[in-house]
Amino acid sequence: MREQLIRNLKVVYARLWVRVKGGNREPEWLIAELIIPMLTLSAYVYLYKMLNAPPEYGGFVIIGGTMVAFWSNVLWNMSAQFYWEKETGSLEVYLVAPISRMAILLGMALGGIVNTTLRAVAILVAGALIFQVPFALQEPLTALLMFFLTIIALYALGMLFASLFMLYGREAWHTASLLQEPVYLFSGLYFPVNQLPFVVQLVASLIPLTFGLDGIRRVIILGEGIADIWLNVAVLVVFILILLPLAKFALNYMENLGKKEGRLTLRWQ
Amino acid sequence: MAVSTILRTVKQAIWLGWKIDTNWADPLVFAIYYLIRPLAGLLIVGFIFLIGSGVAGTFNPDYFAFMFIGNSFFIYVVQIMMSMSILIHEDRSHYEVLRHIYLTPGSLRWYILGRALNGVLNATVSLILTLGFGLLIFQVLLGVQMSINWWGIDFPLLALSLFIGMFCFLALGFMLCGINIMTSRVQFMLTEYVSGTLYLFGGVVFLPEILPSWGQAITNALPITYFLRGIRFAILHQAGFDVQTNLLYLVLTTVGAVILGLGVFKIAEHKARKDGLIDRKEEY
Repeated sequence: MREQLIRNLKVVYARLWVRVKGGNREPEWLIAELIIPMLTLSAYVYLYKMLNAPPEYGGFVIIGGTMVAFWSNVLWNMSAQFYWEKETGSLEVYLVAPISRMAILLGMALGGIVNTTLRAVAILVAGALIFQVPFALQEPLTALLMFFLTIIALYALGMLFASLFMLYGREAWHTASLLQEPVYLFSGLYFPVNQLPFVVQLVASLIPLTFGLDGIRRVIILGEGIADIWLNVAVLVVFILILLPLAKFALNYMENLGKKEGRLTLRWQ
Repeated sequence: MAVSTILRTVKQAIWLGWKIDTNWADPLVFAIYYLIRPLAGLLIVGFIFLIGSGVAGTFNPDYFAFMFIGNSFFIYVVQIMMSMSILIHEDRSHYEVLRHIYLTPGSLRWYILGRALNGVLNATVSLILTLGFGLLIFQVLLGVQMSINWWGIDFPLLALSLFIGMFCFLALGFMLCGINIMTSRVQFMLTEYVSGTLYLFGGVVFLPEILPSWGQAITNALPITYFLRGIRFAILHQAGFDVQTNLLYLVLTTVGAVILGLGVFKIAEHKARKDGLIDRKEEY
């Protein structure tokens, strides 16, 4: 038991190390990951300016823009990762190794969180400086709590998707692609979701990012505290408690299905 | 090269692109896929507009139509850039067929053109679906006023602006293909760089006058600015718009883009062959 735990912790560290090293080895990637999100979010800030909306709406866009980095990371470097591994022939190596698949995913998630947090902070600082966004942060610890709960819930969702994407070829690619803009829309990355029509809010409530983003914005931009956002905290905890075991179950199920159907080593699907 | 060979190459490339893009799903799923992303993009901007106007206390239907048309027709940029940017990577590293295509009697550039034209067709399908569903959601379901007279569209001007604009975007796509032949693993970021820059500075969803002066200078140098102005005038007929001057600027900037795009591609293709990059493997 102890030996197994140590082995899996080593797996977590090894996968984290590869992710951090791989994600930062090429400077042009780093620069792109900072500049590209700034282009779109700048367009949205200018749109709010053209409409004479209050400056905190620019702040909503900047905070949303930083969280885009995490959602993209969850989709492409977490959910779709087993698809990439299958294409490069590494998936079978993972599967024959005497290790937990969840440990591999946890390593990927932690590496992704480290990399993406660095980029997200840079986007936040650059956006705030360029557009002079007014912050009213009263409780930094509450902001950190909201941030970490959001990230854990998001990566738990990524782990669940990873198991689904493991079996698929181009469908996985297209599904990840399809989950970009619609999630930006429904989670209210660029506007407060409570101003949307009720049906849209209903769909939005199925995405953990919606509650996390709403809480983070209210703490950082509107100066609210834990007493105001406790419901967001509770919902995120529920998401985490549901998604993590579900991810583990789905991973085992899909792996067995893949073995039966002989699809775990298929390339060029 | 004989014209018949060129036409056959382009035709087969369009057909191949269509099969690759569509054969992973049934037609309904494919249509939904080609609708959902651009429609979600339009709804994001639309809701920003409605919420921003709501808190500011004023709603300008002319600006809304400006944003609606600009964001919808930007689909061409996104689709063409995406199709052409990942093409080299897919054919060289993923499917490993670029060297075979290079050896055929048809030229690589006509093959790329065919694949890009498939991107134009896909973008047109996306555009029509997005306009239809966008109108349904904003005008019918949400009751948003939009000052667009769909029966009064100046179709010749619309077609001319689209025709010239396609030349321009295809030329930019060739530039991306050229860069991708010379490099590896930058295909996605290149698309995002070009699309993001054109989105921010091209007057797609907001009036460029709100940008700082250096930003407006970039706006004035970009062909998409004149492309979207032409499209908007053909549909919205804004007063005081000089069609001829706009068309002149569109042609001039497009000629610049064509020279740049084909020039970069020609140099890159030559150098790639010299350095043995045509069949380079990346991670596969």
